[in-house]
Amino acid sequence: MRVLAIDCATENCSAALFSNGELIDGRCERLGRGHAERLVPMIAELPDKGRADRVIVSLGPGSFTGVRIGLAAARALALVWKAETLGYPTLALIAAMAREAHPEAVSVAMTGGHGEWFLQDFGPDGLPQGELASLPPQAAADVARHHRVAGSEAEALVARRGSGSAVPLLPDARYVPLLSSSVLLQNPAPLYGRAPDAKLPAAS
Amino acid sequence: MTNGPALVLGIESSCDETAAALVTSERRILAQKIASQDDVHAPYGGVVPEFAARAHAERLAPLIEAVLDEAEIEIRDVDAVAATAGPGLIGGVMVGLVTGKALATASGKPLIAINHLEGHALSPRLADPTLQFPYALLLVSGGHCQILRVEGVGRYQRLATTIDDALGEAFDKTAKILGLGYPGGPAVERLAQQGDPRGVPLPRPLVGKREPHFSFAGLKSAVLRAHESGNYAPADLAASFQQAAIDCVLDRMQRSLETMDEVTALVVAGGVAANTRVRTELEQCAASRGLRFVAPPLKLCTDNAAMIAWAGIERFAKGEASPLDVPARPRWPLDPGAEPVRGAGAKA
Ligand SMILES: Nc1ncnc2c1ncn2[C@@H]1O[C@H](COP(=O)(O)OP(=O)(O)OP(=O)(O)O)[C@@H](O)[C@H]1O
Repeated sequence: MRVLAIDCATENCSAALFSNGELIDGRCERLGRGHAERLVPMIAELPDKGRADRVIVSLGPGSFTGVRIGLAAARALALVWKAETLGYPTLALIAAMAREAHPEAVSVAMTGGHGEWFLQDFGPDGLPQGELASLPPQAAADVARHHRVAGSEAEALVARRGSGSAVPLLPDARYVPLLSSSVLLQNPAPLYGRAPDAKLPAAS
Repeated sequence: MTNGPALVLGIESSCDETAAALVTSERRILAQKIASQDDVHAPYGGVVPEFAARAHAERLAPLIEAVLDEAEIEIRDVDAVAATAGPGLIGGVMVGLVTGKALATASGKPLIAINHLEGHALSPRLADPTLQFPYALLLVSGGHCQILRVEGVGRYQRLATTIDDALGEAFDKTAKILGLGYPGGPAVERLAQQGDPRGVPLPRPLVGKREPHFSFAGLKSAVLRAHESGNYAPADLAASFQQAAIDCVLDRMQRSLETMDEVTALVVAGGVAANTRVRTELEQCAASRGLRFVAPPLKLCTDNAAMIAWAGIERFAKGEASPLDVPARPRWPLDPGAEPVRGAGAKA
């Protein structure tokens, strides 16, 4: 079975194609912006233009826009290929990537919105412990349970807490096979992780 | 390219309507669906960009599937995928454009990135096969208010734009003042039918002026003051506002037609073209100049995907396609060469 994985939820824009769990080809670029321009060409550069029987996409949390771009692409590709679409929480992929090198419990801290961080703990079995939270940095540092901290705010959290060991990481679709199948979600919908800004455009 | 008629899938997500449509080069709309977000935005009295983007992301893919199902068309039978690439609320535009890119690459069909305004500008040709270039176009929607000379696909000369509010925006703001809810255009038109169009003295900004542009901010403020005075019935305010707005539009239209090179017809498009009074008055204006008058059917006036598919067909016929890295554009003037107008901003 061929699987295409897509992760656009952070500055990283990544896409990878697998055959029976083995990476055939993949790309991961640190873009900041421009995922809407880069993602589809990146997929088109893969063998067979990325054609797969299953598409697995990051649902966030992360950048609202990035999450939507990844999901829009995944759904459209799946529609044409008549493939299945599955989703995963971004922080679960970070935890899985961190556990590759350090197979132990890990707290994941990622940049969120309005100065907050997304935080979630993962147990020694790699499964999430408790709910995802969006917290101010100090609150996140206070409640993170584990010695090892991974993610884009790992170093900042460890510095704030004054203890622990940081694994700075951004999600990368090439590592999607590391995910436990129990974190894969059917009928994927965005995990925004925080409420929308209910702001109207500047009035004229 | 096949010899039969071309078939294009159109996708629209630039404001608060999620839409998909299948249209042929023979002007047949095989299927079209629109999911309005009025329910999402109504409590805020305007379109909230993040809510709009979320709703597009949720609704677009199922809508496209429904359109394909209804027409009993497989995506491989489509000749091209046309998606709005701007101008508009960028979060929503990206959802539609990335969806279009992914559909195109997976099915091996060309992508055609469409300017939403070009969709409006060419929509009368979808409705009327006899409409030839060049034509004079009054484009009046919630975000735009322009007079253009449409010379061909991709060739637009802008003669006038608004220096403040768009015409649809003026209807929406008047509706808000009168407590009629959102979107306001149709509500103002309904209420106006019961009112006296001369009942409230209101200004007609820029009427008679040499400069060709529109202005509606002063009219809206006058409506607000008149309403707050408590001296006027809402129906009279609605009717008088509509009359003043139409007087402005006619005066500006006449002004532009005087300086415009020859055209085959006077055409109106965009959401406000759904207004019956606007249509009839423009029709008389056209008749008085010996011009044909063309207005698309109502469902092609407000945002829809059939007009995006049609613009795609016009461009596909010219052998055009867009690269997969084409950007989404919050601003995208139809006539980039037009002189900037102070205050026009995104409405230019
Ligand atoms: N019967 C009517 N009378 C007056 N105005 C109307 C009527 N029907 C719709 N409108 C106005 O048309 C506008 C909606 O038009 P449309 O859907 O074409 O544009 P938009 O999405 O607001 O803007 P744009 O197309 O410029 O991005 C609204 O401002 C609405 O009030």
